[in-house]
Amino acid sequence: MFLASVFKDLFAFDFLQYALLAGLLVGLLAPLIGTVVVIRRISFIADTLSHFSLAGVCIGVFLSKLINWKIFDPLFMGIVFSILGTFVIEKLRGFYKNYKELSMPIVMSCGVALSGLFISLSNNIDSKYTNSLLFGSILSVSSTDLITIIIITVIVFIFIMFTYKKIVTLCFDEVYARVSGINVKLLQLGLTIILALVISLFIDIVGVLLIASLMIIPVASAILIGDSFLNTVVSSIVFSEVSLVSGFVISYHANVTTGPVIIIINILILIVIMLIKKIRSSIASKKK
Amino acid sequence: MRVTVNNLTFAYTQKLVLSNISFSLKSGEFLTIHGKNGTGKTTLIRCFLKMLKVNDGMIYLDDMDINHIKTFSNIGYVPQKTDFNYEFPITVFEILSCAYLKKRDAYYTKIINDFDLNKIYHENINNLSGGQLQRVFIARALLNRPKLLILDEPTVGVDVDNIKTLHETLQNLKQEGITIILVSHDMEFCQDITDYYLILNELGDYEFKKAGDNNVSS
Repeated sequence: MFLASVFKDLFAFDFLQYALLAGLLVGLLAPLIGTVVVIRRISFIADTLSHFSLAGVCIGVFLSKLINWKIFDPLFMGIVFSILGTFVIEKLRGFYKNYKELSMPIVMSCGVALSGLFISLSNNIDSKYTNSLLFGSILSVSSTDLITIIIITVIVFIFIMFTYKKIVTLCFDEVYARVSGINVKLLQLGLTIILALVISLFIDIVGVLLIASLMIIPVASAILIGDSFLNTVVSSIVFSEVSLVSGFVISYHANVTTGPVIIIINILILIVIMLIKKIRSSIASKKK
Repeated sequence: MRVTVNNLTFAYTQKLVLSNISFSLKSGEFLTIHGKNGTGKTTLIRCFLKMLKVNDGMIYLDDMDINHIKTFSNIGYVPQKTDFNYEFPITVFEILSCAYLKKRDAYYTKIINDFDLNKIYHENINNLSGGQLQRVFIARALLNRPKLLILDEPTVGVDVDNIKTLHETLQNLKQEGITIILVSHDMEFCQDITDYYLILNELGDYEFKKAGDNNVSS
């Protein structure tokens, strides 16, 4: 019943169509990049960059209120900070030999601190806006946002199409990737920039607090059942799309924020897969 | 491929691991690197592959300083079994086809057939035995058409039959003129085809000797 009403509204309102399309593209991109992030064991980087990117957005909000320059557009500043964050992390890692992971909480704390500071410095900032930065607001996706999302999706797909073999080899065995003629530094830089682009793009849609979850949880589910790389990527995209579409429908119907609902559905999928895996392995061990 | 190492020195922060190591190999020669745990066998390999920056000294591959090599080519590398992620969901097909950056051709098929990988081609690597896994890695290393093949402890966790097969493979590769550097705990493995031994001792000390020769340079 409520599905019918959601569909009726979907055909009636442009903003709902934009939101659904944006959601479907995000559902495709997040696990695609997430698989590389999880397998290279740098899951925490997504969280760190999203917080640092938030600082860029907040500085953008502050500066664009002072000077009306295009360069201070919050989304653009978010992208700049996200890319900048990857270099800062890399630089900080150089200072530690055995505590390289310290670079991430340092950058994350810096991002949160700068965000808080510039939000408080920006006069008359709408609490709805700050809320949407934290938890996303997919329903506010405009046609311009949608075009940006489509462009970034195309960029990511072209990048992955041309580097797929190299990415798989790098993820599986970095040393081999080096000796086999792959320019590992360049490939890593490309992956980092793509990650930064995707993260800053997601701030508007799912919010800074949920970006990492959207990239990581579908992959965490898929990795439990995947028996090949391709299979894992495809499964994670399926889980991600299921959670996005159902989260979209449920949150619209229940009039609650979409981002958290999507993540909760993702976690439920993960729990179900864990349970099925547990039951299967206990049945298999009983048969033995 | 000719390999020349001149006065190579490497230390981790305060611990000296390799000290003034020098040796050279001609194309088609076989070097076995031997030493106790922690004497720098894998470290030396990592210096070769530019994964570690040496403190002093030079490494030349075919007279080319490795610092001037932007991306390696013609090097095959077989990693230690502990060096990669076993939980990675990947099949033999994906490992090999992704490692072969060109379109799959007759050479690719030949390698698959030579190493009898057809039966396990679509298996996840978690389901493979030590010997099967080793065959996959050697096949992968040869896809690069290497002139230099580096193997890091390839016999660990491999049964006797597969060790024999590995020995035959290395013998054939040597006959084809491929320079081979083998890191192994096992001094007896490949002793009949080894041309030189590099024995690493603690505190950066080393011995480089011709097989069957008691004269040692260090």
